[in-house]
Amino acid sequence: MDITVVSLVLLVVMLLLLTTGVWVALSLLGVGLIGLMVFTTAPAGKVMATTIWGSSGNWALTALPLFIWMAEILFRTRLSDDIFSGLAPWLTRIPGRLMHVNIIGCGIFAAVCGSTAATCATIAKISWPELKRRGYDERMIVGTLAASGTLGILIPPSIMMIVYGFVAEVSIARLFIAGVVPGILMVLLFMSYVVFWAWRHPEKTPPTDIRLPFRERLWASRRLIPVGGLIALVVGTIYSGVVTPTEAATVGVVGALALSWLYGSLTWTTFVESVTGATRTSCMIAFILAGAAFMGMAMAYTGIPRVLAQWIASFHLSPLGLLGALTVLYVVLGFALDGISMVVLTSAVVQPMIRQAGVDPVWFGIYIVLMVQVAELTPPVGFPMFVMQMFTGRSLMYVSRAALPFFFLLLLGTALIALFPDLVTYLPNKMLNR
Amino acid sequence: MRATLDAVYRICGAVAALLTAAIAGLVVAQVAGRMAGVLVPGADDLAGYSLMASSFLALAPTLRAGAHIRVTLLVRHAPPARRRAVELWSLGFSALVMAYLVWHVVEMVWDAFRFGEKSIGQLAVPLWIPQSFMALGIAVLIVALVDEFIRVLVHGVPSYPDDLEAQEVEAAATPAGDR
Repeated sequence: MDITVVSLVLLVVMLLLLTTGVWVALSLLGVGLIGLMVFTTAPAGKVMATTIWGSSGNWALTALPLFIWMAEILFRTRLSDDIFSGLAPWLTRIPGRLMHVNIIGCGIFAAVCGSTAATCATIAKISWPELKRRGYDERMIVGTLAASGTLGILIPPSIMMIVYGFVAEVSIARLFIAGVVPGILMVLLFMSYVVFWAWRHPEKTPPTDIRLPFRERLWASRRLIPVGGLIALVVGTIYSGVVTPTEAATVGVVGALALSWLYGSLTWTTFVESVTGATRTSCMIAFILAGAAFMGMAMAYTGIPRVLAQWIASFHLSPLGLLGALTVLYVVLGFALDGISMVVLTSAVVQPMIRQAGVDPVWFGIYIVLMVQVAELTPPVGFPMFVMQMFTGRSLMYVSRAALPFFFLLLLGTALIALFPDLVTYLPNKMLNR
Repeated sequence: MRATLDAVYRICGAVAALLTAAIAGLVVAQVAGRMAGVLVPGADDLAGYSLMASSFLALAPTLRAGAHIRVTLLVRHAPPARRRAVELWSLGFSALVMAYLVWHVVEMVWDAFRFGEKSIGQLAVPLWIPQSFMALGIAVLIVALVDEFIRVLVHGVPSYPDDLEAQEVEAAATPAGDR
């Protein structure tokens, strides 16, 4: 049978399974199974069992539950309180004042946390009531928190980078380091927008009620020491090149537990809750990865990725042209899918394409993380939006409208890293012995 | 029957959580050992197996917690009858796919046992031991899927959060990562 027909049939089957509410992991397994049984002579069951076995229990993936667990522990401490109190006195003179706490606070927490929902919820927990009480513009609080929450996956550690690194066979440590500069870039872009907005609407920023002399501001900053220490432990150890992401994650878990104990929030209940939650999330991701591994294998048997890559190559698109087309694809997909599904669903097909076009897979990892951030700000699926919806009791549409300017800022950031790839690749290339 | 099934899911969940903690424990032991100049043999392999076993054993409890992700775009505002049909279809389809899988996984485990296959690595573990966890986790997931299928057939709603939107909001309320 013609391979174009095979591709179309499998695409339709995939869309049918996904849209009729079949779990993502099981849709992937189903498509793979149908692909193998109908279009190849390979022993489907045997391939399925061995591929799933081979993809599970990969040592590189052990960082995944550990980083999730670390965030679960920290969420249950008063670390967010410390971040707020340590940052607030410094930001009262910038136009937009405490609105910047949302952005920098999320940026800082993102450096110890690898997920968007946890980053957003941790900072919003303290920031939302504090800013609301002071009379800041509600829509802007919601927008900055939802958007800055997505920094959780751009600034290392990052669950999304572990997932991408695993499916694309790219070094996770390199991806982590590559995310640092784009992460800072996005923080600056978000802050610039808030400054611009505050300058245009001066009546919407309430006067400050925090006035501290320099020495006291410095003294208030002592509360940033715990989170600073954790960042140094986790990101610093990876950058030094002496530890693997898994070891850094373990150091992070031990540090988070110690911090939680010091804060007095470490109880048997919080311990069990945190580890159970982490196990569930990591199980959900591992199941999707197993499904994707099998579907990828099935696709390879049918020969679709090779033909598709050749087809794309026949257009002689420039790398920038290809990225433009992919960006449209990902923005559209982002309206229907969550980030992890988006990354693993497309990787079997997109990886051969971008390698063909000579795009650096580490750079592409950061690009795809930005695309996931964009997706998380588009309705109906986006975890930071769900978090803000819960805090504010507003509709999803309200939250996504509030986040709309940041949606465009993320696209601007994507354009910037496409025009200046060194923003992404300089740091990881400087890393030694890798 | 009900109590037995719930206990099975709970035990699987507890063991899975324990194994997650064990990964951290293994890495700590390895790093501490390295500092003390002692090599902890096969800690990497054991951590990998713990992750694998944890992931498979957690499949059923994660289903019941409503934490496996699905696309809810078209079924969100469906009337009860359609939602019931959606649940029966997705549970039934999933049970069939997993049943086909478990059949071949058991065959794989049996082969590994029969031929005495050992893992490659520092610890030459007989492969059937870790592979049995995979088979067990998938088997319990099938039980849970059938359990839910019958429940939807009888009561019309599954035990996991039935309002798909509420489920997502609740999931976000306990930030457990990017589902």
